[in-house]
Amino acid sequence: MNDNYLWDRSGEPDPEIQKLEEILGTLRYQPRALEIPHHIQPGHRRKFFPALAIAAAITLIAVILGLWLSFNRRQAPPFEAKNTSPINQPPNPAPSPANPDKQGAVATIVRTQKQSGMQKHREATRSLLAQNQSRVPRTVTRQPGLTTEELAEKQQVLVALRLVSSKLNLAQRKTQGVPQLNPIRNQHKIG
Amino acid sequence: MLEAEATADILLMTQPFNAPMATEQPMEVVLVKAVLSGDRDGFARLYEMYAPMVHGILLARVPRDEVDDLVQDIFLHALRKLHTLRDAAAFGPWIAMIARNRAMDFYRSSRETVEVTEQMAVTQSPNRTAKEILDLICRLPEAYRETLVLRFVEGMTGPEIAARTGLTAASVRVNLHRGTKLLRQKIGAVAT
Repeated sequence: MNDNYLWDRSGEPDPEIQKLEEILGTLRYQPRALEIPHHIQPGHRRKFFPALAIAAAITLIAVILGLWLSFNRRQAPPFEAKNTSPINQPPNPAPSPANPDKQGAVATIVRTQKQSGMQKHREATRSLLAQNQSRVPRTVTRQPGLTTEELAEKQQVLVALRLVSSKLNLAQRKTQGVPQLNPIRNQHKIG
Repeated sequence: MLEAEATADILLMTQPFNAPMATEQPMEVVLVKAVLSGDRDGFARLYEMYAPMVHGILLARVPRDEVDDLVQDIFLHALRKLHTLRDAAAFGPWIAMIARNRAMDFYRSSRETVEVTEQMAVTQSPNRTAKEILDLICRLPEAYRETLVLRFVEGMTGPEIAARTGLTAASVRVNLHRGTKLLRQKIGAVAT
């Protein structure tokens, strides 16, 4: 068998192959015009990536901010209560040193008043606390009370926020076609 | 401009040097880009180039009566999905794969299939018609079937088959050689 003729029709023709070509050639494709309906248009590539990246970054930021705020709110009440407790205390009648005999009676009366009016006092305190929350800036009262664990958590949140903002920047640069910053430059500065 | 002035310009580099376009894109790439930018004639050209290959691929798999309509369907489908083609140079392998998948879908969807039996091959007359030989080819292993149809029916050479289908030249050569050998054996067996 002549392989060259079979491969690219070069060389000496193989009579059997030629015969096969001749017979099977009758089934060859007959050119026929392609009728393209007008409503068929070549589809365009949709660039979903930038929109998705931006949406994902925004969602991530919203989630992290939400977590951060909820974390702060959970931490806030003890500090607020501590600060506001002197303000919210009802005026207790202090036993006068002039009447030491009546001191025990006054104390018992005060105790009973305290026990009976505890619920009202708490409610009043809560309402005052709610009012004070709007007046007093939180950061002033909260900062000194952070434990080491809380500080570490805060650091983690800040790092996460930085990471998210850098990713958002990256996505923004990609969408705008701006070349990316060289991350090695900063490493070099740090190193 | 006089020759002397032109030479002086070149020597003094007074004009910007326009280098010739070093990279020539394959025809498929140019046509695919043109089609994606809205040129329908470009797709007609792609159709002319690749319709024989698609026809051959289908002929090796589905009944002859269905082939012409399927060729049209496949190209219309390709036009709709052209934006999903990542590498424009791979248009041939891409549409070949669409044709193979479409042939498989044809058998999945159609319930009335005609099984080619040995009996049909044995009752041959000495003057074998093209269809009968095609039936013999269709009973060969799938790897050989497509290559033989493209070679003998569509008249493509081995290098052309390799370039259009995306197969390696070595694979096409092996398929042609072994497929032809098997076909000869089958024809000989039927003749005797």
